Amino acid sequence: MNALLDVQALEAFYGRTQALHGVSFSMAKGGITTILGANGAGKTTTLRAISRMVRTTGTIRFEGESLERKATEQVVQLGIAHAPEGRGTFVHLTVEENLRLGAWGRRERGGLKDDFDRVFGYFPVLRERRRQAAGTLSGGEQQMLAVARALMLRPRLLLLDEPSLGLAPLVVREIFRILRTINQTGVSILLVEQNAALALDLADHVFLLETGRVVMEGPSDVLRKDDTIRRAYLGY
Amino acid sequence: MNTPRLPRVAGLLGLLLVAGALPFVLSNFRLFQFSQVYIYAIAILGLNMLTGYNGQFSLGHGAFYAIGAYVSAIMMDRWNIAYGWTLPVAGVLCLIVGFLFGLPALRLEGLYLALATFSLALAVPQILKYFEHWTGGSQGIVLSKPNAPFGLKLNPDQWLYFVTLGVLVLLFWLGANLLKGRIGRAIVAIRDNHIAAEAMGINTALYKSLVFGVSAAYTGVAGALSASVIAYVAPDSFNVFLSVTLLIGSVIGGLASISGAVFGALFIQFVPNWAQDISKAAPWAIFGVFLIGFMYLMPFGIAGGIRLLWTRATRSRVEPEGRSAVPTQAHTTT
Amino acid sequence: MDIFIQQVVSGLATGGIYASLALALVMIYQATDVVNFAQGEMAMFATYICWSLINAGLPYWLAFLSTLAIAFVGGVVIERVVIRPVENAPILSIVMVTLGLLVICNSVAGWIWTYVQKPFPSPFPENPFKFGNIVFGAHDLGEIQVTLLVLLCIYLFFRFTPLGLAMRAAAHNPVSSRLVGIRVGWMLALGWGLAAVFGAVAGMMVAPVLTLEPNLMGGVQIYAFAAATLGGFTSPGGAVLGGFIVGVVENLVGTYVSFIGTELKFTVALAMIIVVLLVKPTGLFGTTVVKRV
Repeated sequence: MNALLDVQALEAFYGRTQALHGVSFSMAKGGITTILGANGAGKTTTLRAISRMVRTTGTIRFEGESLERKATEQVVQLGIAHAPEGRGTFVHLTVEENLRLGAWGRRERGGLKDDFDRVFGYFPVLRERRRQAAGTLSGGEQQMLAVARALMLRPRLLLLDEPSLGLAPLVVREIFRILRTINQTGVSILLVEQNAALALDLADHVFLLETGRVVMEGPSDVLRKDDTIRRAYLGY
Repeated sequence: MNTPRLPRVAGLLGLLLVAGALPFVLSNFRLFQFSQVYIYAIAILGLNMLTGYNGQFSLGHGAFYAIGAYVSAIMMDRWNIAYGWTLPVAGVLCLIVGFLFGLPALRLEGLYLALATFSLALAVPQILKYFEHWTGGSQGIVLSKPNAPFGLKLNPDQWLYFVTLGVLVLLFWLGANLLKGRIGRAIVAIRDNHIAAEAMGINTALYKSLVFGVSAAYTGVAGALSASVIAYVAPDSFNVFLSVTLLIGSVIGGLASISGAVFGALFIQFVPNWAQDISKAAPWAIFGVFLIGFMYLMPFGIAGGIRLLWTRATRSRVEPEGRSAVPTQAHTTT
Repeated sequence: MDIFIQQVVSGLATGGIYASLALALVMIYQATDVVNFAQGEMAMFATYICWSLINAGLPYWLAFLSTLAIAFVGGVVIERVVIRPVENAPILSIVMVTLGLLVICNSVAGWIWTYVQKPFPSPFPENPFKFGNIVFGAHDLGEIQVTLLVLLCIYLFFRFTPLGLAMRAAAHNPVSSRLVGIRVGWMLALGWGLAAVFGAVAGMMVAPVLTLEPNLMGGVQIYAFAAATLGGFTSPGGAVLGGFIVGVVENLVGTYVSFIGTELKFTVALAMIIVVLLVKPTGLFGTTVVKRV
């Protein structure tokens, strides 16, 4: 199996409630995959399952290594960075401290300055605000910070949960443009999005979740033309 | 617990019969200890109502116990009022005091309410000593145990045992009706999400203060009973340690439970004695080990532990009722 | 005026002790929402260990530093071994465990070292310092210096080291901390270790004044609660400032208000707690948590 990420028969539980009912998919290295679906479909739960934040059965393999018995911190150290729903910013800490923490889980020490330069290159506004408390940033800036923090890990896989949520269209477009650039440097991206149009534009592979099950899957240019998806998720 | 009704009532009646038979088999000292257990159980039920069911942390219930005890003592000692009448008076007085205390307490949550009640508990002995004229100062007030009425052939310890048992049954029955009905559900709703409760039309301020009052009343009645059972009140018996002990009993027994109050009372009455039997040199260390051990095995108290065993044994899909405050990480499903 | 300055300095000295213990309480509370009722007793236990080391012949400062190291390890071990099994239990259950620790520490200390009061040495010179007409006890001045030094070290640690940053992050937002690879459990353990160190400093500084016995820290812990309440349980800096303020106020009230003798000084601390809770429960520097529904 030379897929980057391979998930088989994944079931996820919040207490007694089952949120995922046997989800299976795999991601190739260097790709961008997006998970689409309505509220409550299980998109965020899928990302949390990979980050080991929720109880699961089934298999999850990253670069051939099984993740089921690992703790969140260990998954991070393997090179999976997760920018969670709600961004998870350390609001009382400065932008710079947030970014520094992003590099904590990294195996290779040192080279921090290069990472800062790279990340500020993608998001210049963060350099301006580097000494500000992260909680004082606008929504768009905090989303950029979330992505930037994830990049500090030098991840091989980036998990992004609804980066467009609550942001102005211009800002969202900018972020998505940068995501494409990041992908071109070799970072694979697994993206959860409600904004189907943007997601289909960015991703090369799509799968659609409905109440915890995969109901459709395929390359994005094919699914984009599919009638069901068009009517239900693209609104025309 | 969703146990079927008939076996449950039968079980309780059986326990009552056993309890009623004890005065004829146990020594006076043991009866005294059991009377103390019933008194603690009433006090702890009061605390359970406030902290377990309504989520307001009190580290100062010893203060209400003290008020009840001293009210009873002063009435008996100064005005020669029979002990029986002191019980409702202590109850009503503590109801009012508790309600009044509940009003400013509305502004305080969690830790801050605990700190406020803790500070008051610390101040109680000093306040009692200060009002020497009424309370008899550090010497306290010596009382005498009442004799059994109607010429019944019971000694004071036996009679007091029946009195405390009787009051226990009455107050527990009243409490159960209160907590299992609409009012109980409202109280728990306030604990679990007071904003939602308010939005549903529950007058949270009124309910919270009332619960404080009722809770104080229960503990006050317990205190009043203790004045007769111990036949002595003194300021140093009502220090912060009493409040902490009641809270320990509450948590050990099971915070949001009625039967838990009895389990908790048994724990705080007998475990210190056992600890002393195990080690004369460091008895409290043994008590501490017991305390920690119980929390490992039954973090939801004895009543919670029993509930868990029951649901496992009957494999019924019953959600545990009235779980105490748990810090949960917010999660949403997408 | 001279007496005023003397009493202020003296108050700052005791305030430093309250500040240290308050800082310990607040550190653990911030990270876990639990008030460690055993903090004072753990500090007393550490002080006894120092006493034993000194009695075995170690020079004071070596014993002092060794005790800090032992206290740190003790704190870490207690968190990993005693607290960890209940870390997901309801808060009151965890508080019960700290109460259990309290009685165990107190009882075992009494068992090992007896309840007889023991003198504890002060590393500072006997003779007081004179500035004109004002007299300062050497112990008071020394205490203030030690407390400030410890606080400075801790501030630098949290502000400028990666580990300090990780600990701050873990206390504020454990979920996000895990997502950057921080092992939150171990950060908590380190927090308990540091808290134990602050407690030990407080104990060793107050023992020469109060004499060493198992109930050494009981009163001090109440004052530490007052300090943390005043400064804000969610603010370490506030708790420290609160400690100094409580110390000074306690001393000044005791000196200038005639009917408050030494017994009622205690009531002053309680009154402060009640007043703060009625006016601004979160303290001078604490922040209210805004709840979203």
